Amino acid sequence: MSAIAAADPGATRLDAAAAALAEALARVTVEVRSAGARGRDRPGAAGGSLGAGVVWHPDGLILTNAHVARGDVSVVLSDGLARPARLIARDRERDLAALLVDADGLPAALIGDSSGLRVGELVLAVGNPFGLARALSAGLVHAVDRRGIQADLRLAPGNSGGPLADARGRVVGLNTMIAGGLAIAVPSEVARAFVREQLRARERRGG
Amino acid sequence: MDALLSLSNDLAAAVEHAAPSILAVHARHRLPSTGIHWRPGIVVTAEHTVRTEDTITVTAADGRTLPATLAGRDRGTDLAVLRVPELTAVAATLGDDSSLRIGHMVLALGHGPRASWGVISALGPRWRTWRGGDVDRLVRLDLVMYPGFSGGPLVDVSGRVIGLNTSGLARESRLALPVGTVSRVTDELLRQGHVSRGYLGLGMQPVTLPEPLRARLGLPRELGLIVVTVQAGGPAERAGILLGDVLVALDGAPVSGLDDVQARLGGDRIGTTVTALVIRAGSRVEAPIAVGEQPRRRA
Repeated sequence: MSAIAAADPGATRLDAAAAALAEALARVTVEVRSAGARGRDRPGAAGGSLGAGVVWHPDGLILTNAHVARGDVSVVLSDGLARPARLIARDRERDLAALLVDADGLPAALIGDSSGLRVGELVLAVGNPFGLARALSAGLVHAVDRRGIQADLRLAPGNSGGPLADARGRVVGLNTMIAGGLAIAVPSEVARAFVREQLRARERRGG
Repeated sequence: MDALLSLSNDLAAAVEHAAPSILAVHARHRLPSTGIHWRPGIVVTAEHTVRTEDTITVTAADGRTLPATLAGRDRGTDLAVLRVPELTAVAATLGDDSSLRIGHMVLALGHGPRASWGVISALGPRWRTWRGGDVDRLVRLDLVMYPGFSGGPLVDVSGRVIGLNTSGLARESRLALPVGTVSRVTDELLRQGHVSRGYLGLGMQPVTLPEPLRARLGLPRELGLIVVTVQAGGPAERAGILLGDVLVALDGAPVSGLDDVQARLGGDRIGTTVTALVIRAGSRVEAPIAVGEQPRRRA
């Protein structure tokens, strides 16, 4: 009997669950390319920055980090096609930006409640670290405080703007930076509030 | 996705189970370290994080800051024991060293609580730290030790404490002291405030032995330890050891480094006799030394 066959069937169920979740998360993650970016997000020869974003709404609303979306922005959806995106809101304070692509029926993320996060629970991140499309990292909630969600999870610059999801696959944050080896994410509650404010402002403008 | 969710819930529950016994220890400038409520009123932490002995406080999981007194410290195993009489929460649930397995999923926890996730990457036999402490078992971890995590618990997926994490015993790898070692050292520190170690009263440093001398005297190792100081009135001086003697064996076991000497001078050797083989003027000389107790150094 092989070692694998002898292993606890629970472990293979765990693998299958993790793989299914990774796939679901990759579908709602986009690559964000931005011509105006500077610094560490610039991938060099390719030109422009490479970050990630989350499909927030099926009709083309995408959330990412403000530091990822600068200047002319395009996104690559999970179908592999690049589309121009309109930067409709940007908040440097919260490091959030809202993009709109001309599409509908997109696979949108399930948004979780970041206020219910427990220290020690599993979290998964998907992004484009080192330009690697939709790579997965797994870790757990390290702490939740005024800086946002801190996760014991390995990120790289191309993860910026991508989803941090719980074990149910619900997006609980947007990965924003790496500090002291920890992943720092903007909580989904903050992102939700940002989206609400922007929609209200657009309504007032009649947009 | 239920398997993943149940693992996630188990990990979060493990943190919640252990959290009431985790404290912040304020015994150095700025960055507090972590302590474990090991027994009622007794907190253990990493010795290297205790820089002051006068005004130590701990912050319990309930947020109360309480006065603590240092019961004892052992540089060898990097353990310090504090008495915190006002501590009311339950002490940690301690696991069993014999249940540790390579690959077990573990959490390192810091005060807050804060969590770090990883696995037991290697287990080894009894070992001696570079500071001369005896550790029952080598427990090496693959996880990130964040600032302030030293002194905190290593817990299993059910939240039982299976070790004390410290970055003070190895620069590169992450190590935990197993529960048995922490309890043993804690007992000794509570009883007498320090851990007893055998003592010869010698200062030595390694020297290369010339090949012809090794061949003539039948010495297996290239290195010996040359005596550079002899404590006046100490065990070695009473046994007639002289400056310039080169120690090559203790009780027949070759020694070529200070670790080898420390390894033969555990607390249980105090009062017994160890036979030192030294090279003096090109000849072998055997000297029985009555092992003393290491004098306590004040920090």
